[in-house]
Amino acid sequence: MNYVTIDQVTKGYENQVVLNDISLTLKKGEFATLLGQSGCGKSTLLRSIAGLEGVDVGRILIDGKDITNLSPRQREVGMVFQSYALFPNMSVFDNIAYGLKMKKVKNIKSKVKNMIDMVDLIGKEESYPHQLSGGQQQRVALARALVMEPKVLLLDEPLSALDAKIRKSLQKELKRIQKELDITTIFVTHDQEEAMTMSDRIFVMNKGKVVQSGSPSEIYTSPVNTFVAKFIGNYNVCNMEVFHKLVRSTELKGNEVAIRPEVLQLVSAGEDSLDLQENWGIKGVIKDVSMTGNVLRYEVETDESAFLVDYLHHRGEMFEQGARVHILVPKKECIIL
Amino acid sequence: MKVDGNWFNERTVKPIPKLLENKEEREVLRKIKKQKIYLLALLLPFILFVIGFEIGPLVAMIKNSFYADNGIQVTIDQYITIFKSKFYLQAIQNSLVISLFSAVTSVIIAVIAAYSITKFSQKIQNRLLMIANMTSNFEGIPLSFSFIILLGNNGLFTLLFSKIGGDVFADFNLYSWTGLILVYIYFQIPLAIMLIYPSYQGIKKQWKEASSLLGGSTLSFWLHIGIPVLLPSIVGTFSILFANSMGAYATAYALVGSNYNLLSLQIASLVASDVALKPQLGSAMGVLLAATMIGAMWFNERMMRRIRRDLR
Repeated sequence: MNYVTIDQVTKGYENQVVLNDISLTLKKGEFATLLGQSGCGKSTLLRSIAGLEGVDVGRILIDGKDITNLSPRQREVGMVFQSYALFPNMSVFDNIAYGLKMKKVKNIKSKVKNMIDMVDLIGKEESYPHQLSGGQQQRVALARALVMEPKVLLLDEPLSALDAKIRKSLQKELKRIQKELDITTIFVTHDQEEAMTMSDRIFVMNKGKVVQSGSPSEIYTSPVNTFVAKFIGNYNVCNMEVFHKLVRSTELKGNEVAIRPEVLQLVSAGEDSLDLQENWGIKGVIKDVSMTGNVLRYEVETDESAFLVDYLHHRGEMFEQGARVHILVPKKECIIL
Repeated sequence: MKVDGNWFNERTVKPIPKLLENKEEREVLRKIKKQKIYLLALLLPFILFVIGFEIGPLVAMIKNSFYADNGIQVTIDQYITIFKSKFYLQAIQNSLVISLFSAVTSVIIAVIAAYSITKFSQKIQNRLLMIANMTSNFEGIPLSFSFIILLGNNGLFTLLFSKIGGDVFADFNLYSWTGLILVYIYFQIPLAIMLIYPSYQGIKKQWKEASSLLGGSTLSFWLHIGIPVLLPSIVGTFSILFANSMGAYATAYALVGSNYNLLSLQIASLVASDVALKPQLGSAMGVLLAATMIGAMWFNERMMRRIRRDLR
């Protein structure tokens, strides 16, 4: 049974369509990510679900109830903003208690205490936002949203303003809390790595449309078009005619072929023990070598186009710039777009 | 112990002479020092100005207030005179009341007006601020005469409305307490808008959004977040308006002359009139005027810290 349903939602500003006929569904307890570049409409969709922006056409349902025309405070959704948006004049405790006070709930104290415990902020109850680090502020923002026991938790790039290390640890913690509370979550990010590590399901968005949805591994291993291939995994995307010339074979049909950089292998040009049963071979020259810590990335220039080849960084073995090589392309790893 | 001794020598004693031995570093330090001296020299005219025209007169005023009328005997008689005189106490009271009333009214109006200004497009906002800026400098004698021309006994509007028939100004007298308050509020509002407007830029849209998602209404947002965030600027503005109207002299003088008993008018007549020149008494009243302003600022600050505990 679908818990969240976005049904043919369309929205535009003046003469620009921001959300173009978007339909998607989520199950209860699912962690879904809207992934895309800035301006693709992911934040607008999230804000429409929150009720902070209206939609022109379409419906939004949560738990079977049509919330399209309800005000934000009637929707029972919680939201965490990129800029935290904590109330600067209130302590951590008062920030978290604010929503409960508005709703005139009983046992505010114990509920807030539990939440502070859950986000690991014990001892900071009386601190003010400006006395906290970015990571701590974001925990408060999360607690403030969760204490209301919302039906859906909306996260608008909540980790983007944090530095890498805190970001990684908060990713894990966010995931833990989400599983613990079994809360349906919609997460917006432009960072594909973050989307991969956190999500049960990813919706890749481009120009106001959902271009592909699926589990992280589905999206990564079988992108449906060039945009997803390039955005999600740095795929080498090659025009089919060019590819035919390079491999001197017309076995593959289609418009373009996409190959992940880490499935390619490099062999020195002198070596003649190439496995050409399972692979194609392409001649090339190493044009550039760059290193991102554990990964070595070669840019190999061939007669027709350049290829990226990723290697785990092993000690010793390394091709020099200018070396002549063969690129081995495993046939079964070629994805036709 | 020997190790400790060595550590002490190397870490704290040796590097310092080394640093001074280094020619380049010494040169850099000297340059920085030189620069500092230049900067201080540039500041000197300003410091002299402040000493000569602000601190000097203040000290002289305080000193003067402790002398008898003859200027020789040291005494607190001037203060006793003020506190024993119903007339002077009334002047203080009148000044306090008109300042409080005009400052409170202007702040309330300005808080609302500045908020509505933020709702216009940037272009219109700039124009409105320009008008506020200009009118906030429009006070004193020219302002009083403008009001006299428009709303005086033979003022343009007074006559116009009595001709048309709808005599809305029949009960209005510009040269009275109401008239004085109207003019005070008029010159306070633009200043208050100018001072409060920037603080609205500090209120983030996300706070409102977060509040509404947490079940808060617009009213509860302003009550719990908006107003408390604006409070320091409201309080600061109030202090300035209060001081502004406590010290206002020309506007009141041109409008009501000496018909109305205000602290600033009394001080003026004691130090500059040709009938009863009593500069020592005037000084004592000046000291009281300054004291009320400082007292008001201190009180405001205390109240604000009480509400905005995060600023402590």
